[in-house]
Amino acid sequence: MNLHPMKLVTIICEAVLEERVVEVLRESGAHGHTAFDVRGSGRQGERSADLVESGNVQIEVIAKPSVATAVLERLHRELFAAYAMVAYESEVHVMRPDKF
Amino acid sequence: MDLLTAIQSNLLSPAVLFFVLGVFAAVSKSDLKFPESLYTTLTIYLLTAIGFKGGVAINEAGLGAVWLPALAAMGLGGLIPLWTYPVLRKLGKFSVADAGAIAAHYGSVSAVTFIAATNFLKGIHEPFENYASAFLAVMESPAIIVGVMLGKGVLGGGKFSLSDPGVRHALRDAVLGKGVLLLIGAMVIGSLCGKRGMESVEGFFVTPFQGVLALFLLEMGMVAGRRLGDLKKVGLFLLIFGVTAPLVHGLAGVLLGGWVGLSVGGATLLGVLAASASYIAAPAAVRLSVPEANPTFSLTAALAITFPFNISLGIPLFYEAAKLLHA
Repeated sequence: MNLHPMKLVTIICEAVLEERVVEVLRESGAHGHTAFDVRGSGRQGERSADLVESGNVQIEVIAKPSVATAVLERLHRELFAAYAMVAYESEVHVMRPDKF
Repeated sequence: MDLLTAIQSNLLSPAVLFFVLGVFAAVSKSDLKFPESLYTTLTIYLLTAIGFKGGVAINEAGLGAVWLPALAAMGLGGLIPLWTYPVLRKLGKFSVADAGAIAAHYGSVSAVTFIAATNFLKGIHEPFENYASAFLAVMESPAIIVGVMLGKGVLGGGKFSLSDPGVRHALRDAVLGKGVLLLIGAMVIGSLCGKRGMESVEGFFVTPFQGVLALFLLEMGMVAGRRLGDLKKVGLFLLIFGVTAPLVHGLAGVLLGGWVGLSVGGATLLGVLAASASYIAAPAAVRLSVPEANPTFSLTAALAITFPFNISLGIPLFYEAAKLLHA
């Protein structure tokens, strides 16, 4: 089986930011994403998710390393300072690299 | 009926008592929790039902009767941030962002407070203009736009521009958010269908309404109750503001309602709308466009102070004020 290295970018942020983050992904050249509602706590307190708006969302995308870097740099420049969020990339291996 | 009986009949309604139960559940750290999808479902039901009812009422009364009070309501919503902002800045010593954010919340409206008020009026057999839900629909957005502009510091040369993606997303949410869309959509449908349409959906949208509202207020009680702990963080000024602002705005709404020719019930509703503070549309829009503002201030004030105040004491108070004014 032939596997190809790719980057998985994971972003966990305030639910209101979902559309903005997806916009950043699209503009940075990522193809598609997966999002799910999550809850938890962090340095800026608890995200109880009892109102939809006070919840968190986790957004994941698999992309080429250059795209992953571009995404993280834009998030850093535009959103990190103002919002409760974390973002990181990790190594993954996929079978069909042209899909991403 | 005097003020005390009005307050009593309001406090002993299922809706308010279920709210109290919700607060108790949250404070006692009960494991009771509504699934998020139920919360959303109940919201959709309540907004659709009052939108549709309002539309049928517009069909009967004619648009000619609605436009003036609706315009007045809209104007009031947009103006409220203009005087709350300087008060919050000067007396409350809030930052530009925080003052703008809180002003947006207080100018915008809470649908559930409005619905609780219609419930109260029904309970005491006080007639009101059913098309008042049109006021609810038009009062949500103007204040958010004004508040966000203030929070962005336009008074001090700050920038409010559509090239800011936060502002762009927030404005779209404020003008065409799910609440406004459902409410106005259902209203258009109701006004097209009229009374005959109402007969066909009455069994779903009217008969179970009180029960759904009670259930929703149980959830709201838990949401508000969980934020009671934050009261310590917001400071004495905001505690006082959270009660004074609705009183002042409520009386302004009642006066304006009488002035544009609404009945006692209708003026009460306009008062309640002016007094209410948004805790759904405004927080999301403000968070996107004015991220420097601390959401704990505006959300705690709107949800843990003003909302309980309005649904317990505010509604009967504004009703009595409307009666006095008409007498």
